[in-house]
Amino acid sequence: MLEINDIHVTYGRLRALKGVSLSVRQGEIVCLIGPNGAGKSTTLAAVAGGVVPHRGTIVLDGKPLAAGRPEQTARLGLSLVPEGRHVFGTLTVAENLRVATYMRRDRAAVAADYERVLNLFPRLKERIGSPGGRLSGGEQQMLVIARALLTRPRLLLVDEPSLGLAPKIVDQVYEILLAARKAEGLTLLINEQSSHRILKHADRVYVIRNGHIRLHDDAAKLADGEAIKRAYFGFGDEPAAADEPEEEAA
Amino acid sequence: MIGLLQNLVDAASLGSLYALAALGVGLLFGILRLVNFAHGDFISIGAYALIVPSFEVTAQLFIGTWSWWLMIPTITLIVVIVALISDALVFRPLRRASAPTLMIASFAVSYVIQTGILLVYGARPKAANLWAGLDTPLMVGDVRVPLLQVITIVATLVLMAALTLFLKRTRYGTMMRAAAEDFRMAQYLGVRGDFVIGLAFAISGVLATAVSLLYLSQTGTLSPTMGVPLALFAFVATVIGGMGSLLGAVVGGFVVGVVVIMLQAYLPADLRAFRDAFAFTFVILILLVRPSGIIRTRALVERV
Amino acid sequence: MTEPLVPHAARASLLRRYWPLLALCALISAIVAVGSLGSEQMQVTMTEMLIRLIVVVGIYLFIGNSGILSFGHIGFMCIGAYAAAWATVDPAWKQMMLTGLPDFLQQNQYGFLPAVAGGGLLAGLVALILGTAIMRLSGIAGSIATFAFLAIVNSVYSNWESVTAGTSSIIGVPNVVGPWVAWAFAIGALVLAFAFQVSRWGIMLRASRDDEVAAKSSAIGVVKVRLIAFVVSAVIAGVAGALYGHFLGILTADTFYLGMTFVTLAMLVVGGIGSLTGAVTGVLVVTLVVELLRHLEAGVPIAGSTVHLPQGSQEIGLGIVMALIMVFRPTGLTRSREVPWPFTRRARRRKMEVAPAR
Repeated sequence: MLEINDIHVTYGRLRALKGVSLSVRQGEIVCLIGPNGAGKSTTLAAVAGGVVPHRGTIVLDGKPLAAGRPEQTARLGLSLVPEGRHVFGTLTVAENLRVATYMRRDRAAVAADYERVLNLFPRLKERIGSPGGRLSGGEQQMLVIARALLTRPRLLLVDEPSLGLAPKIVDQVYEILLAARKAEGLTLLINEQSSHRILKHADRVYVIRNGHIRLHDDAAKLADGEAIKRAYFGFGDEPAAADEPEEEAA
Repeated sequence: MIGLLQNLVDAASLGSLYALAALGVGLLFGILRLVNFAHGDFISIGAYALIVPSFEVTAQLFIGTWSWWLMIPTITLIVVIVALISDALVFRPLRRASAPTLMIASFAVSYVIQTGILLVYGARPKAANLWAGLDTPLMVGDVRVPLLQVITIVATLVLMAALTLFLKRTRYGTMMRAAAEDFRMAQYLGVRGDFVIGLAFAISGVLATAVSLLYLSQTGTLSPTMGVPLALFAFVATVIGGMGSLLGAVVGGFVVGVVVIMLQAYLPADLRAFRDAFAFTFVILILLVRPSGIIRTRALVERV
Repeated sequence: MTEPLVPHAARASLLRRYWPLLALCALISAIVAVGSLGSEQMQVTMTEMLIRLIVVVGIYLFIGNSGILSFGHIGFMCIGAYAAAWATVDPAWKQMMLTGLPDFLQQNQYGFLPAVAGGGLLAGLVALILGTAIMRLSGIAGSIATFAFLAIVNSVYSNWESVTAGTSSIIGVPNVVGPWVAWAFAIGALVLAFAFQVSRWGIMLRASRDDEVAAKSSAIGVVKVRLIAFVVSAVIAGVAGALYGHFLGILTADTFYLGMTFVTLAMLVVGGIGSLTGAVTGVLVVTLVVELLRHLEAGVPIAGSTVHLPQGSQEIGLGIVMALIMVFRPTGLTRSREVPWPFTRRARRRKMEVAPAR
């Protein structure tokens, strides 16, 4: 479904991605894990059109995506839930949700989707008239996921859904993601910093560090976590790979 | 007492013009982080479009002689088109540029438009008489209120109400508010960035036209740089109000109007020539006390 | 390519450190030397170019190092120009026309150099007062405040009849500035700007430009350093104004307003806002473009008839050049880098080029 081939991204002089390749098949849950600044968010932003790779291609359903055109990419059924939630704080919950439906042509289906998604998130229904900025962190995370679902994506990219949330809330977030996946037939690509929760749900795992993919395998084969730990922290790397001193990606 | 009331009416009318100009500037700043120097020149274009192109000192009205229901849409269309062209030619290629770069670009657009006006209409100021009948004063008690001032204030209130309704009640308005708050996120949700920005330019063109017509009918003079002080007062109003907030822009516009009129009224006669200098100095002083403006917000329109 | 033969590594590194300054000074000197053999018109054009170079270098010193856009420097130029003219104009004329001047200016006539120094000082003083007020503002609000300052200066100098002669202008300013005088001050401005940029202050300011939060948290007095840069750059602009007055021989406030602001900013953008080399390159290139357009405006004979560009083509042409540079080369013709050291092997040179922009 999604093929990322050897993409390179630089911010000024900082090389954030140095040739990342990754693929996601229809219906899968793929997880990209890596330490802070490894290039996880940049990878997802590049797919969604938010940053422009200076090399490499991104192919969705056999067709190359135009780089740097987020609004077009969204119309192709790819939705990004970026890190840090990005709720429109002064818009109400209802308005936040509605913004996501404006690009859709199927007005009739929109109304039905709106009801259905709200039923997935009863908490949002209660707070439908409050400004997004007044919601708690967990509620905001629900809101951005609900909002992304309303764009009717086939592929949903979620950037660190557990960031800054209490473990109990994180469990809820994952329950909802899995429920939505079942209900909507979603394919998921999720970024996380740590592997322990995601290994239960993911089909395949990529480990990224320093702008390179260091490891890629089926989740089942990585269940003991040893290989992931090695790739994550860079033990056993040949010296050449850990060469240039690097600034952290923002 | 009557003198004070009279001054307050003048301040409300002048403040309306500044508030309208500041709304145009504030809207673009909110969405694009663009400080649009060319906004003043959009205003000049609205005024010059009314007259016959020539180097004569007395301007002959052309579109300006049409009846208002035909003239206002025509002038609005002209200004909106100029605003959209300047977006398409200059600002669209600079979408990823930094705020200072955008500021320099808009300064360049402004200067080029001024030169263009100078090429077609000559450098000298011109006199023009638009809507001469509106000078008739209305007497409210002992206060003389020129009809034109009433129209200015009413037109401003109507435009502000319309803009608020548009932003709060329509899908395009909601898109604009979302984009003003988090442009990239709105794009991720499928909101077309160029469309929203084009819309903002068009609306700021409409607001500029209103200022052109009202300002010209009040002052009766045109000059290629007539928009510069208006734009400057509008910037100042948006800075005082807190950049990026439309309510702030309006409040700032009225504050500036009051300051200017009070200086005009109470400065000694030999200092009155320096009115604008005093007004700007006063503004810099306000900023010292409240560097981030009177109203601090990320919202384009405040929740009431 | 081989390494040059140098006796001591230390001397080589010192030379390398000051290389951009030396190269730029040599370039300017060469241009003046060649140009001074040219026609009268050539001398005039060159003098004006050198004075603009001083202004642009002055503006660069603030904008390039601090990253804050200023529209106000032409106001400092205006202040410097008038202050110097007050000192050098014939006292008889001053007593008649400039009745509001203080006695020490009205009754006396001073030499050119003290007048220039006075112009620079007054501009610096005003910058100190203004800067104390606005350097705390955020970038954009600060820029708007500088624009308001430009408008204030224009309004005051156009209307204050008793000290500026208002719209009837100050006439009879001694015409003492030619290419070589302007050259000497231009070299001075280059040295000052370069010295500032490699100084501790310059490095601190560049750090704050690139990341204000980081610069603040490492306890750098950003506002103070910004203020220093603002005042120094205003002094340079004031000196340039003084020279300009003594080049034109006549002063009107509108000389120092939007048009001059536009041209100098265009120069900075075209060359590259982030480097001294960029400032110099911009002045040279824009002067060439403007001269070319001016010739075309005056008319060129083509196939027996004279073809004119309309008046105003200069400004519009310059606007187009500027827009093209911004879109296709946002960091300017020089990519905001300094002149590279020419005697290094290729691989190492690449790293050298990167370094100064940090």
